[in-house]
Amino acid sequence: MSQALVTGLNGLSYAFILFLLAAGFSLTFGVMGVLNLAHGALYMLGAYVGWQIVDSFHVFWLGIVVAAAALAILGFALYWVFLKRLYGRVPEQGVLTIGVAIIIANVVLWIWGPRAKIMQFPHVFAGVITVGGLSFPIYRLFVCGVGIVVLALLWYIQDKTRAGAIIRAGMDNKDMTVSLGINYGLVSTLVFLLGMALAGVAGVISAPITGAYPSMGDNLLLLTLIVVVVGGTGYIQGTMLGALVIGLLDTYGKAYVPQVALFFAWIVFLAVLLIRPSGLIGRKVF
Amino acid sequence: MDERRKAHGPLIDKALPIAVVGIIVLVLPLFIPSWASSLVTKVMIFGLFGMSLNLIWGYSNIPSFGHAAFFGVGAYTAAIVVMKVGLSSFWLSMLLAILVTAAVAAILGVPAFRVFGVGAGAINPIYFLLATIAFGELLSRVAISLRPLTGGTTGISGIPDPNIGFGVTVHSGALYYLVFVISVICLFLMYRLVNSHYGYALRGIHDNEKRMQALGYNTWLYKYTSWIVAAVFGGVAGGLFAYFGSALVPNNLAMPYSDISFLLVILGGTTVFFGPLVAGALYVGIEHEASNYLPQRWPLIFGAILVIAIMMIPWTRGRYRGLGPEILRLWRKVTRGAA
Repeated sequence: MSQALVTGLNGLSYAFILFLLAAGFSLTFGVMGVLNLAHGALYMLGAYVGWQIVDSFHVFWLGIVVAAAALAILGFALYWVFLKRLYGRVPEQGVLTIGVAIIIANVVLWIWGPRAKIMQFPHVFAGVITVGGLSFPIYRLFVCGVGIVVLALLWYIQDKTRAGAIIRAGMDNKDMTVSLGINYGLVSTLVFLLGMALAGVAGVISAPITGAYPSMGDNLLLLTLIVVVVGGTGYIQGTMLGALVIGLLDTYGKAYVPQVALFFAWIVFLAVLLIRPSGLIGRKVF
Repeated sequence: MDERRKAHGPLIDKALPIAVVGIIVLVLPLFIPSWASSLVTKVMIFGLFGMSLNLIWGYSNIPSFGHAAFFGVGAYTAAIVVMKVGLSSFWLSMLLAILVTAAVAAILGVPAFRVFGVGAGAINPIYFLLATIAFGELLSRVAISLRPLTGGTTGISGIPDPNIGFGVTVHSGALYYLVFVISVICLFLMYRLVNSHYGYALRGIHDNEKRMQALGYNTWLYKYTSWIVAAVFGGVAGGLFAYFGSALVPNNLAMPYSDISFLLVILGGTTVFFGPLVAGALYVGIEHEASNYLPQRWPLIFGAILVIAIMMIPWTRGRYRGLGPEILRLWRKVTRGAA
């Protein structure tokens, strides 16, 4: 029983990392109409940038900020140089971003080498909390905390701000939104940058748990796609629900039935696509 | 479109180049070292792989990010039949590879086309693309899990040389001719298919699916059957690959090989039949040079080719003008100029 609880808490922190990635991915797709299959590679790059900063300056917060900023800039370049010219051509965007992901993975391998980089926990979060005989690393609670803060922030932006209203309007009818004189391009670009920055944040905060290594984004990208489809796009709460389902399922599966766990997420994915293609909580944006 | 219409023109445009290329390929092993003829074998296999994807991506506008699933299923089936089941016949293993690939494609095609959809009626191709990625990843995980049959993550190695009956075993040098014969048969069949009524219907679906529906075509059935046909030819390429490489890994079913297939389609161009074959020659050549001089940077080069191809190759109304059409243009220039 206690083991199940610890596994559950691990699954929860995993789910929040998935949520950060999936939120960025689905915002990018929902708002910009861009299929970015380089999201996993960008997450991996974020982890390395964060590791480099923490290794040089020993300030964890700086690592998060720099990685987020670096990825936002890189994402903007990616959009401005390439994706802009492939507007509305989803398969081509997929091909391009797969190529970009392969390039990023090899460049990272070139710069930092094949061995995993272990990032030190920030001292504040180094210990474990013991509750009724169960010990749980504080750092994982911190990961959950970051996830909850981002969730609250995105939820607030979506429901309470003008930018959120523009985004929702644009998802429902882009042409109408633009024709009302709203600068939809600006808002959607900012949202795209936010999505990239979230990938960077996810990379840095997961580096102390998994370490940073060149292929860390590959499997996570696939899980992110699953989360986005299972949760549905257009609502941040849908993404969170999808991340919780897949994160917990994957963690419990690996802990108890490792042989079958490889398929779990994919079977849920296909089942949701078959039964409810718009996702558990999703508006039909596409 | 005009490219293909013209391809029905004078004999000099078709018969002469086919005969010249055919004879060159046939006598080539006599003049080049064995490592080079093994590269040409690989070109034929990858060319077949790319052309099989072109049947759906190029002709009926069904983009797929999971074509390696069928390549891998064909390869694994051939290898398992020979090594685990114990049927040593090459022909039998290829036949079973075809049947299993067709069955897998028929099963996966139902959700792919009925639910997710692509083309007219589908809301966005992203679901179809994500589903095709899922197919490849799912099958590669099946290959990892079924350890006794597939060897798990290490895969299958030591696949014997093909036994083509009458006690004849095709050794590595002669595999070239076996692959050549199979490729020629497949190319002939594919050529007849895309230039039949069926092939023109697929092009019609590519250009305007709603109009084809209005004309009374059951476009769903056309797309679904072309998916199975493409999978079967991909499976044949996979079966040949199993004998050629004599080793298989789960990645043969997943994204790394799917990447190759759509790179060949885009690079070779979708407006002429043989485009992906030309791209296959270029791809195998670059890969060989890169693995000689810059083995560490090969993924970087591969990714760069993918990016350059997708950004640079002219694209009009869902068709790529890659290497194939350029070579055809060059050939016409040469023959017209000489005449």
